[in-house]
Amino acid sequence: MTAFGILVQVTALLSGGAYVLVVADRLMSGTGSVRTALAYPVRRLSFLLLQPATTTERPDFEAWILGPALLMALAAVGAVAVPIAGPSAGGDIDAGLVLFGAAMLIVLVAVFIFGWGPNSVLPMIGGYRMAAMVLSVGIPFSLVVLTTAIPAESLSVGMIVEAQSSLWFVIVQPLGLPIYLVTAAAIAFWGPFDLPEGADLAGGVVAEASGLRLATWRFARAALMVTLSLMGQAVFLGGYLGPVLPGWLWTIVKTLVLLVLLALAGRTIARMRVQTFVWFGWVVLLPLALVDVFVSGWLAL
Amino acid sequence: MNPGPLSYFLVSAFGIGAVVSGWLVFRTDSMLRAAYWLMVSFVAVGAMLIVLDAQFLGLILILMMSGEMTIMAIFMILFMMNPAGLNPMTMVHQHRTSIIAGVGSFIVLAFVGVVAEFPDRPVPAGNATVALGEELLGRSMLVFESAGVALLAVMIGAIAIAAKQGRFGDAFDGSEEPSIDVETGDRS
Repeated sequence: MTAFGILVQVTALLSGGAYVLVVADRLMSGTGSVRTALAYPVRRLSFLLLQPATTTERPDFEAWILGPALLMALAAVGAVAVPIAGPSAGGDIDAGLVLFGAAMLIVLVAVFIFGWGPNSVLPMIGGYRMAAMVLSVGIPFSLVVLTTAIPAESLSVGMIVEAQSSLWFVIVQPLGLPIYLVTAAAIAFWGPFDLPEGADLAGGVVAEASGLRLATWRFARAALMVTLSLMGQAVFLGGYLGPVLPGWLWTIVKTLVLLVLLALAGRTIARMRVQTFVWFGWVVLLPLALVDVFVSGWLAL
Repeated sequence: MNPGPLSYFLVSAFGIGAVVSGWLVFRTDSMLRAAYWLMVSFVAVGAMLIVLDAQFLGLILILMMSGEMTIMAIFMILFMMNPAGLNPMTMVHQHRTSIIAGVGSFIVLAFVGVVAEFPDRPVPAGNATVALGEELLGRSMLVFESAGVALLAVMIGAIAIAAKQGRFGDAFDGSEEPSIDVETGDRS
């Protein structure tokens, strides 16, 4: 596939997925009818684009601009690693899993500089919260993702999908998907883990953002959720493998299932304090992820 | 695989990018920018490795840097005169010592680079990641595992010293002002 083809494919996937996510989240919030929910992303985007952008006193302007742009770019880079329709389609990269992991951990940098940029207290506290959260779940996240490479004996996501032709990894590695979903929601600071954007911080990292900057940020965060669901279904739910339907359709269906699941978790699970979450990451998730690695390694011998 | 002109161009471009962003670390006046210029420099080195067909090494370098540089940025901001804002401050100090150290290490490294005979053992065509894994857990296993265990010991030691109940006793001893209640001496 040409570079241009990959660009079109990733753009279409992320935009479509982001639209579905925002509509689903709106429906679950219980405000308004299905019709208003379907129009909500467009209305909200138009509103933000027409809104005059405010600024703060002596902001770090470049960092503030770079934050949303970097977040968007990282979502796109992570999505490139996932094959959509078949083993060779969609730019299958030799070490695709590591590319994805690197992109997802740099999300921390994007959020941190976005919180730092406006030179304002509440966004900066939001950035620090993100640092505490991602540093606590980054290792379990990387471990459960990389563990899927053990049975497949390859870091290429296409090979990992192929290795699930007899049994999906969600069954072979039962600890994998639950830990992945929790840590992925934290990395996308979504749902119960939206503490960097917490209401108790008047919006946290977005407290001072408005207009185009806020629109880009919101879109990038939704796209990041799509990328994380896309990789989740590829390494745990068999990716494009499935009967009757063509491969790309299976990819989309499974991605949407994970997306809606994450949106639902965001609307139903209570938030916990950052301190509790840091404890949860190191004391619960990390040992469980290590068990996942050891058991999978033992089974693969 | 024979490198084409594109590889030469990319390696040079990323190399120059790494040096320039490394220089910018000291030219900026913000702790956050200094930390992340250093990260840009490392990412450029990682990109050079990717162009040189060491995909895994390059990507893992970039992966490790994001968390490390954020921790560094937080600690640097903590040590600022005003940790709550964007007050500009200079990134250079001890000019004479740093000039001597910089010029000295440049001369030594340049001398080694020009004089030393580097091994010429190209990775066999195919999967460079597999070759790397065999090297790490084969011939070089003792070196890497000893370094890993030593680093782990240092980390545990640092946490033991820095923890609230460390080897020097409770961290809050002497850090709280005495109570005004003279009769009981109750601190709270």
